Amino acid sequence: MGSAEAWRDTKTGMWAWLLQRVAAVGLLAVIALHLKNPFLRTVQAALLGLVLLHGVLGIRSIVMDVGLSARWHRLLFLLALLAGVAAFALFWYWRWY
Amino acid sequence: MVLRVFRWGPGMRERLQKYWVRARQGMTVLDALVEVQRGPDPTLAFRYACRVGMCGSCGMVINGRERWACRTLLSTLPRGPVTVRPLYNFPLIRDLVVDMAPIKSKMLATKAVFVPGRRATEDGGFAQIGSNSRERRAVDAAVECIGCGMCVSACTMVGHDRRFPGPAALNRVFTLQRDSRDGAHAERSAAMLSEDVLARCHGQANCTDVCPMEISPTDSILALRRRAVLRLFGVSPR
Repeated sequence: MGSAEAWRDTKTGMWAWLLQRVAAVGLLAVIALHLKNPFLRTVQAALLGLVLLHGVLGIRSIVMDVGLSARWHRLLFLLALLAGVAAFALFWYWRWY
Repeated sequence: MVLRVFRWGPGMRERLQKYWVRARQGMTVLDALVEVQRGPDPTLAFRYACRVGMCGSCGMVINGRERWACRTLLSTLPRGPVTVRPLYNFPLIRDLVVDMAPIKSKMLATKAVFVPGRRATEDGGFAQIGSNSRERRAVDAAVECIGCGMCVSACTMVGHDRRFPGPAALNRVFTLQRDSRDGAHAERSAAMLSEDVLARCHGQANCTDVCPMEISPTDSILALRRRAVLRLFGVSPR
């Protein structure tokens, strides 16, 4: 389909899938920067954020893989993002160095 | 209200054509399309049969989402033009009509057809599976598939990998793999492990989101995957 292609919506599950992939690719770049200079705060924040994003979305997938119905996938996505934000705040503000 | 309808036919350039329809209370998208066809444009092609949300013939992409036109009230859609286009991932015949043949061909390719096993004709008659049995309850929702194709249209993986059987065929496979009367479990299980089958589903659950029968093909696929993993470890799934 070309010129007359109408807009189609991007559903929640697609966002979850896409964000996890984007986080994985982003991690490759950020890890390289982090190895170059481990003390840059912005890179540290990006690394922590991307690791958490990739991780919580991975856990969401595993929870569905082991049997939680896909009917809950939207709520799981929201919970995963909230857990990621909470963990980021926890690690960032109470870091030990 | 303004209806923007996808138009295409052999030899024609595809386009979105605008129609003005007077919206009435209780009017559905199908009503609006019928009004256009009976009035200003008798050449507009679309498919429908029961008009009451049973057959699934009127599956279309309305405002970017797969829905059945006969059950989509105009009043439930956001204000503004309503865009209607044919289902994705099916060959287009004309306007809003697509060729549903891939549903059948993908089912045949995945052996999603009942093969009578030893238990099928137990006691001389057809073996009975109680309506409240564990076996029946496991497939209660999944057997309600009406083959409307909306899940196939919404699946991004079908669009990406033409060999992927898609949610409708895999949902059917799931019901057969749970059927103790079926005799082709082992053969189907082996086919499921191909790289273009179970592994291709990325769990986006688009199929589950759009299914008008509220079936969750994603759950069926994930259940098949769990059974495949158990088999790999030598455990026979129930």
